[in-house]
Amino acid sequence: MHRWLLLSLLIAGLVLLGLGAVRGEIVALALPLLVYAGAALLGRPEAPKLEATRLFSAERVARGTPVTVSVSIANLGARPATVRLEDQVPPQLMLVEGQTRLLTRLAPGASAELEYIVVGERGVYQFPGVQASVEDPLGLFRATALFHSTGQLFIVPEVSRLRRVEIRPRRTHVYAGQIPARQGGAGVEFYGLREYQPGDPTRWINSRATARNPQTVFVNQFEQERVADVGLILDARQQSDVRTREGALFEYSIQAAAALADTFLHRGNRVGLLMYGRSLDWTLPGYGKLQRERILRALARAQTGDLPVLEKLDYLPTRLFPARSQLVLISPLQAHDADMLAGLRARGYQLLVISPDPVSFELRGLGEQAMAEAAARIARLERALLLQRCRRTGVTVVDWPTDVPFQQIAGTALSRPPIGLHGMAGAP
Amino acid sequence: MRAIAGACVGAATLVLTLSYAGQALWAGAGIGAAIGLLWSIGQWRGAHWPTDLYLAGWVGLAAFGAWQGVSAGWMLVAMIAALAAWDLDRFAERLHSAGRVIHPTDLARAHLRQLAIVVGVGLVLGFVALGLRIELTFGWALLVAGLAIYSLSRLIGAGRDAEQ
Repeated sequence: MHRWLLLSLLIAGLVLLGLGAVRGEIVALALPLLVYAGAALLGRPEAPKLEATRLFSAERVARGTPVTVSVSIANLGARPATVRLEDQVPPQLMLVEGQTRLLTRLAPGASAELEYIVVGERGVYQFPGVQASVEDPLGLFRATALFHSTGQLFIVPEVSRLRRVEIRPRRTHVYAGQIPARQGGAGVEFYGLREYQPGDPTRWINSRATARNPQTVFVNQFEQERVADVGLILDARQQSDVRTREGALFEYSIQAAAALADTFLHRGNRVGLLMYGRSLDWTLPGYGKLQRERILRALARAQTGDLPVLEKLDYLPTRLFPARSQLVLISPLQAHDADMLAGLRARGYQLLVISPDPVSFELRGLGEQAMAEAAARIARLERALLLQRCRRTGVTVVDWPTDVPFQQIAGTALSRPPIGLHGMAGAP
Repeated sequence: MRAIAGACVGAATLVLTLSYAGQALWAGAGIGAAIGLLWSIGQWRGAHWPTDLYLAGWVGLAAFGAWQGVSAGWMLVAMIAALAAWDLDRFAERLHSAGRVIHPTDLARAHLRQLAIVVGVGLVLGFVALGLRIELTFGWALLVAGLAIYSLSRLIGAGRDAEQ
């Protein structure tokens, strides 16, 4: 019960009882309560005139990194005020140190600071504002207001840089990079032989081939290495996600997408990201650190969704990706996805699929159950058939048992050219 | 702060119980002692939530005692001590739930000063009122009752305004 309501009832009760019983001393007993209520009423606070500002030690951090939040509140009113401050912290963030509430007495123009440390999982967190209450000296009345000191905290996924990811798109850009361009010229890897042309460096001369054909001088050709367009497609369909006590399979997809984006961008490629599921969330292709940041922020806010029209990959907007470029799909894969992947291959895209294994992930979450083990065997068979169908259409598929770190699986399965990948992909 | 609140509960209990016992109203003395004991235990355990009930009980006992002819002066003293204890309990709860408190000693000192003024004025006014004797006709009594109800509604209105 509110304190002022209790006092009011007691005062009214005593006065009415005294009048009813015709006993003046009972009415007199109400006087101290009246004085108390009157004093509080006289000091009743007006709407708080405060100014709140919030600062983060970093507005963008990796998952699990502590962030210090400082909230400063200043009294802009003409009277001293007892201020109770409460910062509205998003419930998903975990407070590890400090307090989100503060009680202090502020002189006019004075300010106080509240500081605390939070950690959280991947996501974008909006801080709605600071709730401030001003009280009368006896704490009977309180005027509360919400001050819009908004803030946004990005907790981006952890990025593990991969040593090497071999891709061979059919089309590359003109700029030098690290992706074999299927064209002879200056490079590292041997590509072929051609006749000597004036201007060729003499160290390119292939002495053996020239010795066999004394009339002609042959030089070695090397495969040019260029940068390429890479389109990352993250499957954010709710039906592809598996949630257990240990977490969500989608988080592993995010982890893989972050690692691949970082690696491709680090090697100078132009990378775009499409999140397919909740909506078509498209991060325009770009180069360098800025693009890395854009992609990480997009991944930070990634959520699964069940938009009916995006249930299948049929509406994948292929126009977003340059023709014959490299696509990387990160998806546990659904049974009906194989046809769409074959279609992409037919259109000339080089396709790499990173597929976190939903069967082993769910089985780990279920624990040891005889029925679950039997069901998992059937599911594994179905999945093996699905992956095999995809591989037959020329898609490179990496089956990722999520108990193995992505770095390890990528190091094994992606560090060699895609030609040799088919036989070994899936081996943990 | 805790010691002062405890002392207030002790004083209120002692005065009320002895006053009731002086008039051989043993049931009232027992109830007063029981409420005082429960209140003290609550303070010791840090349970502040039933404090409103204790104050209401105390006011009820004081009014009942005054009606039964127990010395109204002692009832007034007991009630003021209970009011102070209630206020200090609530203040302690506010500090406890506030998270971080900047300069708690200054806050406590300012609050005690305010409370001391209020309690002092209340005590003086109460004793002055007990010494006065005014004859009220039925019409005046009705007017006072109407004023009490009006003031009550204003107080409730003020409380609601402050919260919005």
